[in-house]
Amino acid sequence: MLLGAAAAPLIARAQGRPARPKIAAVATTYFQYSHAQHIVDRFLEGYGWNGTHHYPAMDLVSLYVDQVGATDFSRDRGKRFPTMRLYPSIADALTLGTGKLAVDGVMLVGEHGKYARTPMGQVKYPRYEFFQQIVKVFKDSNRTVPVFNDKHLSWNWDWAKEMYDTSRKMGFAFMAGSSLPVTWRTPSLEMPTGAKVKEAMSVCYGGVDSYDFHGLETIQCMVERRAGGESGVKWVQAYRGAEFWKAHKDGVWPRDLFEACLCRSHTLTPAREGYNHIFPKQADMERLVKDPVAYRYQHEDGLMCTMILMSGLVQDFNFAAQLQGSNDIFSTQMYLPMPPARTSLANFFSPLVNGAEKMFLTGKPTYPLERTLLTTGLTAAGVDSLYQKQVKLNTPHLAIKYQSTRESTFWRS
Amino acid sequence: MANETPKKIAVVTTIYRYLSHAQHMVDRFLEGYPKNGRWHRPNMKVASLYVDQKPEGDQSAIRAAEYGFQVYPTIAGALCLGGDKLAVDAVLVIGEHGNYPKNEKGQVLYPRHEFFKQAVEVFEKSGRVVPVYNDKHLSYSFEKAKWMVDTGHRMKFPMLAGSSLPVTWRLPDVEIPLGSDIKSALMVGVGGSDPMDYHALEAMQCMIERRRGGETGVKSVQLVEGDAVWRAGAEGRYSNELLVSALSRSDTPQGLTLTDGRTQNLVATGQLQKLVENPAAYFIEHNDGLKTTLLMLNGAVKDYNFAADVRGVGNVSTQFLLTPIPNVTYSACLVSKIEEMFETGRAPYPVERTLIVSGMLESCLESKLKGQQRLETPHLNVRYQAPAKSQHART
Repeated sequence: MLLGAAAAPLIARAQGRPARPKIAAVATTYFQYSHAQHIVDRFLEGYGWNGTHHYPAMDLVSLYVDQVGATDFSRDRGKRFPTMRLYPSIADALTLGTGKLAVDGVMLVGEHGKYARTPMGQVKYPRYEFFQQIVKVFKDSNRTVPVFNDKHLSWNWDWAKEMYDTSRKMGFAFMAGSSLPVTWRTPSLEMPTGAKVKEAMSVCYGGVDSYDFHGLETIQCMVERRAGGESGVKWVQAYRGAEFWKAHKDGVWPRDLFEACLCRSHTLTPAREGYNHIFPKQADMERLVKDPVAYRYQHEDGLMCTMILMSGLVQDFNFAAQLQGSNDIFSTQMYLPMPPARTSLANFFSPLVNGAEKMFLTGKPTYPLERTLLTTGLTAAGVDSLYQKQVKLNTPHLAIKYQSTRESTFWRS
Repeated sequence: MANETPKKIAVVTTIYRYLSHAQHMVDRFLEGYPKNGRWHRPNMKVASLYVDQKPEGDQSAIRAAEYGFQVYPTIAGALCLGGDKLAVDAVLVIGEHGNYPKNEKGQVLYPRHEFFKQAVEVFEKSGRVVPVYNDKHLSYSFEKAKWMVDTGHRMKFPMLAGSSLPVTWRLPDVEIPLGSDIKSALMVGVGGSDPMDYHALEAMQCMIERRRGGETGVKSVQLVEGDAVWRAGAEGRYSNELLVSALSRSDTPQGLTLTDGRTQNLVATGQLQKLVENPAAYFIEHNDGLKTTLLMLNGAVKDYNFAADVRGVGNVSTQFLLTPIPNVTYSACLVSKIEEMFETGRAPYPVERTLIVSGMLESCLESKLKGQQRLETPHLNVRYQAPAKSQHART
């Protein structure tokens, strides 16, 4: 990997790309522990990677921030790093005020900030709108560069699909997604390529239209490696509250996978006073978890998956799967060293940024955009099912087929 | 295996209350613990308990009542279940936490050696031995620790000791290839002296013991504090590159990261020296010539990170992951090793690791007491081979 990073500028030169790319960042807001702070700071300050303090072989030269509040740090960063200029518009950030696209890559970070919600409760982060403005510059300049989009593409499926289609039509490298697929795993396990996955699950925490996406990414980065690759998703059904507990008791999703997930957690709420780590009974869970949520869905090739949010019981992202030909359950945790309680740095952003860096250097996405397209659609469908009183929704629009990368792209070095 | 009669365990501990070592370790034998992604219930029974101190919050009586074992007023009573002969299949000694005095070196005088000695007296009287696990280092005194290990060998009972650091998850999941040529190694630790420096030294030891020829013993130690630590770095007594490497694995840089979230190269920016008010360097010279350094850098980070320069492999660095309170899942990793020894009668890794670390810590603290001078340590002539199989959490 070290060798790859060192060789990248040479390859870039050979392919007519600049040896030291210029990157523009487009963000909703920039306060401590916002996604933009985690991501942009890593370009500016470097970060721990492969056993050294790594400085990206590129320059983040411009920044647009949509909402600058009292807690803003973008102005501070602009002062400390005069090589990065702050611009009042996305077009200016991309053209560096010249009127023509003047950067070699774009980081789009549309997470955090005050934005309105849809009737279904989704935050209308303006990722699509930002993307449209980026694409307009591309069109006006008759040139495209790679784009990285943090988290899901859009809260709105049609817009997400349009973003995907636009990148394909215009032929630029486009990557997206969250840290879950790329962070540490405890234990450090990878789904074998070509595995026959019978059923998969994640047990996580957090809210709807936010951490549900992370839980879906936790599952998808694993199951996409199965035999035949990803085939798309046929239907989705959400469960919440009383319906969730009933389904859990009735065995709608496999109990053994659920228990395996809890056994990978580092943050299982003790169900009894005086114990630090004890396995919860159903009654304990019903007491501890006020608002359980599940998205259960079936892939086109028959694979069943369940994403479960259990705030109150766990505070981490755990994965389990039943593989054909194995009596043991395959399970791990996607480990997020989450500040400020456990750590001071959200270092799970390091592999995310590193994956984007690789794309900026090679011109090729480090992992497929289709993963994020599918998890974006799954998130929206899950939210929709909840809104429609937890009905089962057919999802013909999610017939998204793709192959995973052969090599692992999660943090293991 | 489930049909086999459960092995009976006697627990000998200093205190038993919420979040004490005894609570989170013994509870795992009572209630089970996660192992390889399943909730594993050991086929073992806690048969008896001796607890030395019962401070406020003591749980020994309520655990005994709920799980059907007895609390005995003596260690012999616990091991003989009230009779006059050894009546258990294993002994779990947890001499951590509780109110015990400190010596002039700042070491807490936990009565681990005394507990062990009483257990051994029962073994001798009964003409029978069983496996013994000793939590953390063997004793504050190398002489006592050595006697414990020698007694184990003489009487031929399996012994395991040490803390969770060697068996917890590593970020990344790396292992030093067995038989490697290690050029130098450095550990960054935090916390108070004795106990936390013990953890850091043990973490480093479980990595470097895998070098070619195995562990050869410690020739000399020196503990220096204050500006002398930075001067030693400038003079090349430890590798700046390895320091950067170890710190690059940290998730907890302090200072400006707390102020505004930024990532930091603490060494390059000079922040390290500003953040650490009282640095300490533990210099360890091994008999085969390997020189290692533990830097205790309170104020700079809050986790335990290691880096080594390995010939033919390059830089190997990792964080020993201490998972959050209250689950402290790393203690489940340790309990699975204890259970393995109780079950099989074989220690998964040598007790000599704990012995040598107990000794190097004591000698380092003595060096500090003697004006930070270098001390020759011929008594730390502890030789052993690392287990070929990795013992940390990776499945």
